[in-house]
Amino acid sequence: MSFYSRNMPGFVFSALFMVLLAAPGLELMAQDKDEPEAVLGVVFSEGRRTVDVDLSRADDKSSEFYITAYDLARIFKATKYWKPGARKLVLRIGSKDYLFTIDTRVVVVNGEPVLMRVPARYVDGAVMIPLEFVGGVLSRESAERIELDGDNLVLTIGTPEYNVTGLRFEKVNGRTSAVLTLTDELLYHVDTDTPGLLRLKIYGGRLNTLKMSAVDGKGLFRRVRAEQTEYDAYLFFQVEQSASGFRVEFTDPEEGDHEQNLVIYLEKGELPEIPDADFAGRKMVEIFEPGSMAERGFEIEKIMIDPGHGGTDGGRVSSSGVQEKDINLDIARELKGMLVERLGVEVLMTREDDQFLTLTERGEIANIEEADIFISIHCNGWFHPEAGGFETYFLAPARTEEERRQAREENSAVELEDAEMDPEKLEELDFIIWDMVQNEFIAESSELAETVQKELAEVLTIRNRGVKQAGFKVLRGINMPAILIEVAFLSNRSEEKLLQDQSFQSSVCAGIVEAVRKFSSGKIAADAGAPGTGY
Amino acid sequence: MPADELGRKIIFVLLGLAIATAVFILVARWGKMRKEERPPVVQEVPGETRTITVYYGSRDAANLVEETREITSSGRLEDEVGEAVNALLEKPQDDALVSAIPPGTRIERVYWVEDEETLYLDFNRALTANHPGGSVSEYFTIKVILKTVSANFPQVAMVQLLVSGYPVETIAGHYGVSEPLDVRKWR
Ligand SMILES: [Zn+2]
Repeated sequence: MSFYSRNMPGFVFSALFMVLLAAPGLELMAQDKDEPEAVLGVVFSEGRRTVDVDLSRADDKSSEFYITAYDLARIFKATKYWKPGARKLVLRIGSKDYLFTIDTRVVVVNGEPVLMRVPARYVDGAVMIPLEFVGGVLSRESAERIELDGDNLVLTIGTPEYNVTGLRFEKVNGRTSAVLTLTDELLYHVDTDTPGLLRLKIYGGRLNTLKMSAVDGKGLFRRVRAEQTEYDAYLFFQVEQSASGFRVEFTDPEEGDHEQNLVIYLEKGELPEIPDADFAGRKMVEIFEPGSMAERGFEIEKIMIDPGHGGTDGGRVSSSGVQEKDINLDIARELKGMLVERLGVEVLMTREDDQFLTLTERGEIANIEEADIFISIHCNGWFHPEAGGFETYFLAPARTEEERRQAREENSAVELEDAEMDPEKLEELDFIIWDMVQNEFIAESSELAETVQKELAEVLTIRNRGVKQAGFKVLRGINMPAILIEVAFLSNRSEEKLLQDQSFQSSVCAGIVEAVRKFSSGKIAADAGAPGTGY
Repeated sequence: MPADELGRKIIFVLLGLAIATAVFILVARWGKMRKEERPPVVQEVPGETRTITVYYGSRDAANLVEETREITSSGRLEDEVGEAVNALLEKPQDDALVSAIPPGTRIERVYWVEDEETLYLDFNRALTANHPGGSVSEYFTIKVILKTVSANFPQVAMVQLLVSGYPVETIAGHYGVSEPLDVRKWR
């Protein structure tokens, strides 16, 4: 019997519907009392994520909003002191104390009384502060930038620490250049894989995407768009098709100037004289047509493969008991065979079996053997099974340029003064020399990492997590371009299966071999870690 | 109206009412659940408290995300750091986040050497023994600890991680932690 097969009197349906409608209606009405009267959007410009905070009104007629002292303390990381007997609350924000007394309009700022339009209140155990305090008193007194948009209820807080601070275009004698202002000499990578698009990735770069994207292009630059990821900054320049080549370099900062200019020159026709080398010894000349790319002249004859972990260090162990050290060794062995077979190069391994090596020993082996590149193979892991994908790392500079310069200056002074240096200073000096050795290969390591990531993206269907810089101990002190590949996640069920799968392992190896071939031949592939697909 | 048809109608009405009641109860319960999801209005606690920032990882291991916690403000750095690190070990409030510290980890002791601006954080063996491994997780483990310290305790310049009282070469086999770590590099 179907429910609708017979006629039912209208009133039955009506009654039924009324009950159905009334039920949620009653519930919603009850809920309304708990719903906030307004929501304040809080935006932190230094990268903290945006939060929503409930506001309330003193009464229905009032236009003044209130925020709880609890939320205020949360937003401004305040220290709070509540004395219920005296009905007084102190908020310490930054270096200043703000003393509120319930039901009075006075707020005492470091001993100085200031008047608000409405008093602080105490409702249901919570201290309520007028929102006008934030936009008025607090914004005036605070060292931090605080901006309250009362109409849209948006609060913006803080001056962010950007290191990519400006962008302008210059046009001199038919040559167009984009000049980026950086506070530090950061490592970058240029990709021109997409016709008409020049992508600049700045490792560790932090920029204001709104400000940078608002800049209009000039000359051969048509438009620019900026993106920010957790780790790096990206700038996408749309360029005219008539642009035939480009050059990127840091110009020497002026005396006493702490800012660095990273300049992208776009050329029509012939290229001007090219400086021998720029940051980290990398020649920054590339031509748009891939066919005309300069040959590297860097031949790879000996490769050191480092299967991560081993012996008592099992690395990641999956829930089903698969050990990272074993997968790493499996992949390394196949990679060795494939490199020998396809590229005819000599391949060595830091370990051939289940053996324990310290992180320093691995680099030492590669240095003693004088290999041309160092590739460490690992499997990733995470605290949640959802994470997945492949990523490639290269070593981050241990110090910023500025820190290095300072240390060098301090040390040259020490050298002249003391014939006998204390061990601590000697260690420091060691560190600097060692540091410079590292830097020599950073640009090439980044290029190798970008090439590997791109080739892996061609053969793998799992998530491309991009290229990252890291302060790995295993890559330190290695006297050659060195990278570390995290092939996939053993903490992810499906990737754990893939990692044990012969054809997946072969695909990984094929990708790496292809990358080494391209890196070796000098036909540099471009950046693979697209923002959005990467982090 | 035949008797059997009237009976059928009564059944319909009863059925309808039963469904309506069920829906009502469901909706009421759903409403109650919704209300419980909203954070309750926090009552002021007498005395001095401070709000700190603690960090967690996103489930896809891509981002570091912060949450705030209210701790007792004792004015003693060691105690406040201890409370902050303990918060890192707990489950984050947001379900989309995970703690980046291995399960079972405890902070045993906190030492502050003011002359060296160095904080010594002594954990139990679970920090290394229960670590899930992998570069990303090791990076986040170190980063959430150092960033929590630098965000809330600006007087600290260096952090030395210890396991059962001693420095270790590494937590999971990629990063070196035997020396004190510079908090500025992990900001
Ligand atoms: Zn590993």
